[in-house]
Amino acid sequence: MNLLCLSISHHTAPVEVRERLWLSPEEIVKTLPETLRLGCSEAVLFSTCNRTELYAVTDGRLPHESLIRELIKQKNAGSVVHESHFSVYRGPEAAGHLFRVASGIESMVLGDVQILMQVKEGYQLAVNAGTAGFFLHHLFPSAFHTGKRSRTETTIGTGAVSVGYAAVELAERIFENLRKKTALVIGAGETAKLTAKHLRGKNIGSLTITNRTQNRADQLARVLVCSTIPFDRFRESLADADIVIASVRVDTHILTADDVARALEHRHTGALFLVDIGVPRNIDPAAGKLENVFLYDIDTLTAMVDENVHKRRAQIPAVERIVADELHSLELWHASLQSTPTIQALTAMMETIRKGEVEKNINRFGEKDRELVELVTKRIVNKILHTPIAYMRNGHDAGPTERLLSVNVIRRIFGLDHDNAKRDDDA
Amino acid sequence: MNIISFLNILLPFGYAVAVYAYGKAFFADTPWAKSSKRWILLSVIGTHIVYLAARTTAFSHPPATTVYEVLTLLAFTTSAAYYVIESRTGNRETGYFILNIPFFFQLVSSLFIKDLLEVPEILRSNYFGFHVTAALAGYSAITLSAVYGFLYLMLYHEIKQTRFGAVYRKLPSLENLERMSVMAIWLAFFFLAAAMLAGVVWLPQAFSDFSYADPKLIGTVFIWLLYGAALAARRSTRWKGRKMMIVAISGFVISIFSLTAVNMLLSGFHRFN
Repeated sequence: MNLLCLSISHHTAPVEVRERLWLSPEEIVKTLPETLRLGCSEAVLFSTCNRTELYAVTDGRLPHESLIRELIKQKNAGSVVHESHFSVYRGPEAAGHLFRVASGIESMVLGDVQILMQVKEGYQLAVNAGTAGFFLHHLFPSAFHTGKRSRTETTIGTGAVSVGYAAVELAERIFENLRKKTALVIGAGETAKLTAKHLRGKNIGSLTITNRTQNRADQLARVLVCSTIPFDRFRESLADADIVIASVRVDTHILTADDVARALEHRHTGALFLVDIGVPRNIDPAAGKLENVFLYDIDTLTAMVDENVHKRRAQIPAVERIVADELHSLELWHASLQSTPTIQALTAMMETIRKGEVEKNINRFGEKDRELVELVTKRIVNKILHTPIAYMRNGHDAGPTERLLSVNVIRRIFGLDHDNAKRDDDA
Repeated sequence: MNIISFLNILLPFGYAVAVYAYGKAFFADTPWAKSSKRWILLSVIGTHIVYLAARTTAFSHPPATTVYEVLTLLAFTTSAAYYVIESRTGNRETGYFILNIPFFFQLVSSLFIKDLLEVPEILRSNYFGFHVTAALAGYSAITLSAVYGFLYLMLYHEIKQTRFGAVYRKLPSLENLERMSVMAIWLAFFFLAAAMLAGVVWLPQAFSDFSYADPKLIGTVFIWLLYGAALAARRSTRWKGRKMMIVAISGFVISIFSLTAVNMLLSGFHRFN
């Protein structure tokens, strides 16, 4: 298969290089026709924060360097990005790489669930731009199927692998529906911000931020579209909160067990979920001993994350087996599109039909005519097959995509992919 | 073999298959079990309805005159109550823990049940059928609320102790378990009220020695009041979460104690039998 993959990712380039080659959807749509102009017959391009990849069907003679230069030129990144930052895959290796990417085992966050959606978006852009053709229309859905299988047949995407998400996952084990819950985030640092973002992502009912520097709280509130309260008054709203995320740098506990107990007395709802990701700890550990209070500190969450990462790593061999299985199916499909096996299958099918009909009707002919019937029917079949076989053998003027497409059309028209028994019945 | 005997043998197998399917879905995530477990349960409940209707028609009395008839009725009401709660909450992960109970009840019933044609005329009454069915539905709901309460406490301790095993991964959230348990308490409260009402109206007419001091009546009223108080407290105060689940389990323990103690000490279901 004349498939080429050019990949720049966290495996091959640092972030300052990757960010220069990140392409917006508009830039992708602009770049795709350029790849066709250089000689590709089909192309799909996608870009995420950790990778930019081009999948192209070529005639096998197109040097990959010209495509790399085109990508660099499009982003005017020649001073930072070099050819050595790219990995180049060809043929089945390129398809296997795409399947691994779609499965999440090439991601920086192992088993990342976002990547499959990002690959789908890239494919859709190519479909809309008209640069995805016959081969890529089969390759990419196979990749999506591989990604889906990896996530349903293994646990590669199970379990939180960041502290913020681990906190949200824990909240989901306590509360039925986060849409009906109220969260209070104490602090506006990076971890607090990420955790709050995860809560927003889960459509938390109400989100409030408090911080010693009000300005930073206001900035974060604008990003997350939520409210703020002054830092010296956050204890008053503790009774209304179901989830409290504390992440500030302090020397003493900003929430004592007594504060939490007082808040519980004024609460009419169920559990109170406290996440302390500050170091030194922000919440008195004794609060965790109160009934219906669930308190977790950074060590607990980190241990959860480590365990989940370990579990995900253990799933890599199972995902690799799925990738190999799907790659094998792709190669079988691709092999079936080659002209020689198709010519053989078509000839065999016609001969089976001819023989069957001759045997059924041979008694209608006299002894002396029977040899003639064999001869005439063979000639008819050969004449019918002459044009399609000649096209498949000599139609090399067409590009690789057109040739594959025509072989595929012939296989479909003559039903060559049906099993033999069905073919015999149909005949 | 007539239809009743056939269904009597079939039902324990049906419940066993349902338990197996729910177990495979919970512990092994088996795709066929996940997609078919609910249909299996629905088929078993349907079969059970046919079985109970066939017994009622054939023997001209509601199937609640012996312990083994009561057990099959209890198996039915428990699985039906579970099905209702599963449908209402949309949570399908707890069936394995619940359906073991109707399986056990039905197995014992199928092994020892007799075809009873001769029963006192009073037990052929429709009032009697309603009274017993409502009481058993109430006890089934009590059982369900206790199982959900037990699962809640298991998960509560796993989360508190930061032990994240299969219970943590597979069970519904704490809030969901509490909601299912409380829903079962409401069902228990409603059915026990209906059973007591039917009993208080009908029993004095049916039994000359009827007594309001009957231990089972007192026990049932006590459980009913306990649940009523807990439900009221839940609405008005902080009686939520762990406390409420302890009430659910306590109600079940009292019910079992009340049932077994009375049945061991007395000859029948009530002192006036």
